[in-house]
Amino acid sequence: MIEVNHEHRPVEAFERDRFWVEPGEHGYAELCTTTNFTFLTGASHPEELILRAAELGLAAIAITDRNSLAGVVRAYSALKELKREATEAIGIRSSQTMDSSSRQQFGHSVELARPDGARLPKLIVGCRLVLRNSPVDWIALPQDRPAYARLSRLLTLGKRRAQKGECHLDLADVLEGCAGIILVALPQGDIHAKHVQKHIQAAIRRFPGHVFLGAAPKYNGQDQAYLNACANLARRTSAPMVAVGDALMHHASRRQLADVLTCIREHITIDEIGTRALPNAERRLKGAADMARMFRNHPAAIRRTFEITARCGFCLSELSYEYPDEIGDTETPQMRLTRLAYEGLERRYPNGPTDKALAQVEKELVLVEKLKFPAYFLTVHDIVQFARSQGILCQGRGSAANSILCYLLGITDVSPEVITMVVERFVSEHRGEPPDIDVDFEHERREEVIQHIYEKYGRHRAGLCATVIHFRSRAAIKEVGKVMGLSQDVTANLSGQIWGMSNGGADPERIRELGLDPNDKRLAQTIRLIGEIIGFPRHLSQHVGGFIITKGRLDELCPIENAAMEDRTTIEWDKDDIDALNILKVDILSLGMLTCIRKCFDLIETHNGGERLSIDRVPQADSPTYDMLCIADAVGVFQVESRAQMNFLPRMRPREFYDLVIEVAIVRPGPIQGGMVHPYINRRQGKESVSFPSEALEKVLGKTLGVPLFQEQAMQIAIVAAGFTPEEADKLRRSMATFRRMGTIGLLRDKFIAGMLERGYEPTFAERCFSQIEGFGEYGFPESHAAAFAMLTYVSSWLKCHHPAVFACGLLNSQPMGFYAPAQIVRDAREHQVEVRPICVNNSAWDNTLERRPDDSLALRLGFRQIKGFREEDAGWIVATRGNGYPDPESLWQRAGIGPSVLERLADADAFSDMGLGRRNALWHVKAIRGQQPLPLFNDSIEGEGIHEPSVDLPAMHLGEEVVEDYVAMRLSLRAHPMELLRPDMPNLTPHAALTNAPLGRTVVCGLVITRQRPGTASGVVFLTLEDETGVSNVVVWRKVYEQFRRVVMGGRLLRVTGYLQREGIVVHLIAQHIEDMSHRLSDLGHPMDDAIGITQPQADDAPRPPRHPPRARHPREQAKRLFPSRDFH
Amino acid sequence: MQKRVVSLWFERLPSERVLRARPVDAPFALTHHQKNADRIYCLNPEAERAGLHRGMGFSDARAFCRDLQSRPADINADAQFLHMLARWSKRYCPWVGLEGRDGLVLTIAGSAHLFGGEEALLDDMRLRLARSGIGARIGLGDTRGAAWAMAHYGPGGICTQTDLTALPIAALRLDEKTLTGLQRLGIRTIADIIALPRATITRRFGRDVLLRLDQALGDQSEDISPLSEDPHYGVRMTLPEPIGLTGDVMAGTERLLTSLCAKLKINEKGARILLLVLRRVDQGNQQVELRLAQPLRDAARILPLFERGVDNVDAGFGIDQMRLVATQVENLPTQQMNHISGQKEGKLDDLITRIGVRIGLENVQRFLPADSHIPERSFIVSPAAYSRPEGAWITMQPRPLRLFPPEAITAHGPHPPARFHWRRMPLTTGRATGPERIAPEWWIVDDNWRSGVRDYWKVDTKEGQRLWLFYTPQSPNWYVQGEFA
Repeated sequence: MIEVNHEHRPVEAFERDRFWVEPGEHGYAELCTTTNFTFLTGASHPEELILRAAELGLAAIAITDRNSLAGVVRAYSALKELKREATEAIGIRSSQTMDSSSRQQFGHSVELARPDGARLPKLIVGCRLVLRNSPVDWIALPQDRPAYARLSRLLTLGKRRAQKGECHLDLADVLEGCAGIILVALPQGDIHAKHVQKHIQAAIRRFPGHVFLGAAPKYNGQDQAYLNACANLARRTSAPMVAVGDALMHHASRRQLADVLTCIREHITIDEIGTRALPNAERRLKGAADMARMFRNHPAAIRRTFEITARCGFCLSELSYEYPDEIGDTETPQMRLTRLAYEGLERRYPNGPTDKALAQVEKELVLVEKLKFPAYFLTVHDIVQFARSQGILCQGRGSAANSILCYLLGITDVSPEVITMVVERFVSEHRGEPPDIDVDFEHERREEVIQHIYEKYGRHRAGLCATVIHFRSRAAIKEVGKVMGLSQDVTANLSGQIWGMSNGGADPERIRELGLDPNDKRLAQTIRLIGEIIGFPRHLSQHVGGFIITKGRLDELCPIENAAMEDRTTIEWDKDDIDALNILKVDILSLGMLTCIRKCFDLIETHNGGERLSIDRVPQADSPTYDMLCIADAVGVFQVESRAQMNFLPRMRPREFYDLVIEVAIVRPGPIQGGMVHPYINRRQGKESVSFPSEALEKVLGKTLGVPLFQEQAMQIAIVAAGFTPEEADKLRRSMATFRRMGTIGLLRDKFIAGMLERGYEPTFAERCFSQIEGFGEYGFPESHAAAFAMLTYVSSWLKCHHPAVFACGLLNSQPMGFYAPAQIVRDAREHQVEVRPICVNNSAWDNTLERRPDDSLALRLGFRQIKGFREEDAGWIVATRGNGYPDPESLWQRAGIGPSVLERLADADAFSDMGLGRRNALWHVKAIRGQQPLPLFNDSIEGEGIHEPSVDLPAMHLGEEVVEDYVAMRLSLRAHPMELLRPDMPNLTPHAALTNAPLGRTVVCGLVITRQRPGTASGVVFLTLEDETGVSNVVVWRKVYEQFRRVVMGGRLLRVTGYLQREGIVVHLIAQHIEDMSHRLSDLGHPMDDAIGITQPQADDAPRPPRHPPRARHPREQAKRLFPSRDFH
Repeated sequence: MQKRVVSLWFERLPSERVLRARPVDAPFALTHHQKNADRIYCLNPEAERAGLHRGMGFSDARAFCRDLQSRPADINADAQFLHMLARWSKRYCPWVGLEGRDGLVLTIAGSAHLFGGEEALLDDMRLRLARSGIGARIGLGDTRGAAWAMAHYGPGGICTQTDLTALPIAALRLDEKTLTGLQRLGIRTIADIIALPRATITRRFGRDVLLRLDQALGDQSEDISPLSEDPHYGVRMTLPEPIGLTGDVMAGTERLLTSLCAKLKINEKGARILLLVLRRVDQGNQQVELRLAQPLRDAARILPLFERGVDNVDAGFGIDQMRLVATQVENLPTQQMNHISGQKEGKLDDLITRIGVRIGLENVQRFLPADSHIPERSFIVSPAAYSRPEGAWITMQPRPLRLFPPEAITAHGPHPPARFHWRRMPLTTGRATGPERIAPEWWIVDDNWRSGVRDYWKVDTKEGQRLWLFYTPQSPNWYVQGEFA
């Protein structure tokens, strides 16, 4: 148990009776606070500081992070939210759960009393400039927009000079670029030092009237003396003295966390922290009374905080943001957009546009003009055009993508006929919020697009958004555990044990299971601190593809810094911050499937000849394709290849495109949690009649059989059934995304349900509707999103259906992507009668290729890229110098200049079989080549210098060894499945292929684990997919069984599962009762490296990664036994 | 003469060493902390049966096996134990060497017949080891390699050529990479390697494989380096006539000391503890022990330090033998001399030794700075002879010269009292500066700090004392904790 910590008792309470000084009439404004965006230093979220400032009734609070503006937008949003709530009179939830930065919830929420007197503090944007060559830190507080721009440019200057995450500024830079900025000098270290006075005087000469001396109490018993010294210095330098708190945390209870952060920063454990720890918890945000008491001899210093507050008039909402115009010579953006739209109309509707389409275009054009977004559409259009011109496949999605404009501009290929258009959704007039278009590009070629944008707009106008990397539970456990002195294996297990429980903290039962004592005080502290640190920002990283493009200089909007990746620059704000400030961004995302589809189109063009396909030219409504999907034959198909989707397909039986849209949208956490799946499927299968509570709702929900599946439908229900205005409905949508962090949905809930009851709906129905809407949270799909994905699903299944060899080849060449490992893709291809040929030095290329067979069908030739650790460059040399083929391994070494280690890899992969060399003989040959380069004198073996070796008779490899070797080299084998070899020794197993007909009852299966999933929506159930030589089986492990066999389920590679069968249509599940780890049996294959078998793909496996220890560490005798399974020396 | 080599492999040496001292009837494992993780270092058969193995993470192991008992491994003690075993095994032959961390190698050629032949020797060995609770696998062969192979990969006992060739190639002491390489080529046993043309192996795997093979087969010689004896730092002198005068004894001591110091100098050692044993004619022993504050081998400096001890010796009817032993020595490398080195410090050390002779060297202590905000923990006290003075004391805040356990005084309110009684003295506050707030170190449980945060005040009393007071706001009380000069 956590002992009552005295720290947590409000020390303020005791202070009150110390020197009770009546709070001054004016209160106090805090000008120096460090948030946790000064990474690993500040111990409070900006939101917490704002909230605390409001509670304390401060007149203003400045957020001043170290050389950074990263935290200010958070503070700004929090303040905005507080203001909104103050006007709406909604209680504020406690700071403990208000973890908006990570969008995670932890701890118990505590209702806080509303601060008395609804006066909210004013937010001052600023930063703390820490210079390389100055003993003084400068609090920089811009007075207006131009001053802010200068500050932003100054920071950009410092950041672009330095490495990622650092900022190199000198006093000279400050003196150069801080006009209009109020500078508060905070002397560090000895205040009497010579340089302190010199630097302050230099600043004051440069910016008279703008420089102050900050006096921050140190709480070390000599404050009055220190303040007097400050006052003295202020007199000497004529920089007026101002009181600052230099707060590091919002509340005293964060002292422990601050110490832990110090340890993490300094790479030490808590026992080594010594005087680097905070001596007390006084560096917290303080109220007017406390400050007045501290500065009782210098009241002017307190008063001066107001003077500065009054002078800092800058607010983040002023960041007027202008989108770059795409101006032709004479055309305005709107004219150009209109022209392009009508051109598109002709192209998309060769038989003349429908009236509906025409009307829609008109409507959207007017709206776009009114909201001044034409340039945005044009920017996206130009980027897409560029990609097209380079042959890069791309597709748009996002809320604005379901506009007909996007269809006409070629940004999306989903016809607006298919999906409902809700214009309000993509641009609502009142919201003034920018539209949102995400464009997916091929993952291998996205960088080209990004560099094009930098080139076109320049680095001073274009930058990537940042992503704030937070402490998630795993990192939190690891780092805090290390600081608190837990050994690495304990922390590794601790994070392993919370598998699937994301951020809930640790469960005592689990802790006991690890052999730790949950009552141990240190451990209890550790666990509490882990809970506290989760959600703290840790560093900035670059966003996957959110681009900000401005008309003016970007560095006047926000500081720009170098990213870790070469040639990338990012701004300091993340996506949410950008949204909060209404700044437009274009998401340049990458999608593996697009790469795959493009490669497939290329292959079809070369091998089948004829016209080049494109996404919109793939034949629609192809019935064999849908037939294939109905039997869940979907390995490799976009979006529907996961296990849940494969189980759902035969029940859904998709027959048309819109079915796929629903399929993609329904198997998502949102609808699953909202309980939409069962009603929908029952209605679709006709088990339940389709009825609508009202006619109005029939219109909204008709397409989805009365079950709301998309975000748009949720909004429309609110409008149609609950009488919300579009504006309110939009607020509902937004709070759906944010309700978890601010807890504001309650009010809307009451309104929603009251509205529905008023219109005569059943209370139960109303409740259900709302809980479904809530379930969407962040996991729901907008319809346009789903439609865009469904398009790719259709195209990929069409390819799989009609060109299985091409599809498999494209998939393999686009790895890593998707859900399945190459082994499963190859296996699936072979099941579809595609001949797969092994890697061969005389036939393969780097990529997998297609070869024409005598019967005119195509065979898949595996490429060198399937060999583990093979480099593309070597493959290039092999192909380039191949000529009429290589007669022996030596010729490869001599002609292609392939080093011995690479030759060995080729031999391992059995790529010399074409020369009549088995794997073992090839390895023997290759091993003889030791030099990196052929020696010039001896490289011609015909000269007689060649070494004539006596021929050697190596024992032939048996099948087991070959299979292991295949897995070692390529992670797949064309020879046999390991299970096939082990089966004779494991009696009473049911092969997977027989499961469809096996009698329902107790069944035993055994196979390699290929997927292992524990969805957050399934309350602790684990889904395993096992593979044997005949097929796959789906194993369901209920929570109880999982608890019992936790380690086996998590760590096993080859599992034997006993359970009973459940069959529903063609979907068969095995409900596990007993699970046994058979991984050790793989050593029966007789090869020392059997641990290469059964390695899962990370994306298909939710188990924690590193717990496997190399078996090499075992006892040497174990090794001996592995080689001689029959002999035992005991 | 044919070499005959015995290889002993103590499979579980570390755990058996610990279990001999304190038997445990349950799964037991020794853990070793490496790279910030506890791993199993050695374990007993019960633990192995429970599915544990060496190198496994300790927390994993504990989760597998709930009743696992464990102790941290002590690698130095293991090494010492192995040395002890080596000494013991000299009963079989004089030529004993170490084999890694957990084995011994003995050359028994010529000594086996003393035990009635090789078989009998091995039986005797097994019996004695088993009796003392040490499991050993023993191999005997013509070469070190063969004996090793038999002990590690064979059934044990005497190794013949056929036995050897049937063993797996791992028995050749090859590195992991070569081993896997050979196995992948289908070469499993030593016989398989012998069957291959020699040149082809060297071309592919280097000379090492054949070297090891030849060593095992006896075609290449392999040395066994026997353990060397540690030098003994002791000298003695027998006197023709008993002596009794202090001056005589000191003169004798000087002679002994000179030769002892010469021996120490050759080995670059310095004595830390010296023991002078004086044997009287009536066979009674008198001992003088001298502990030094630093390792020394300078006779001129050591000799005066003996004076006091020798003074106290009761010579009885006279002393006829003197023995001087350095019972503890430390490394003392030879140093380049210059005009400043060693002058001042040496004097302080001599003083410490001198005082130490009188009151015990451990009782001479010095303060060292410690890194903490907590006043009581901002210094440590350690024996002066075994610590070096640290560079600087950096204190941000003025701290009292004398610090004592807090003494409660009666006062109320958060402000220092105007009048108070301390140690029965009525005192009046003159000037008070503060408060300096110090919060307890939250990660340490310290009963003295149970009362929570302290606000320290420096109080100058009108009576002249300058005291360090603190107030605990969370359970309101006042204490005096120190006195400034």
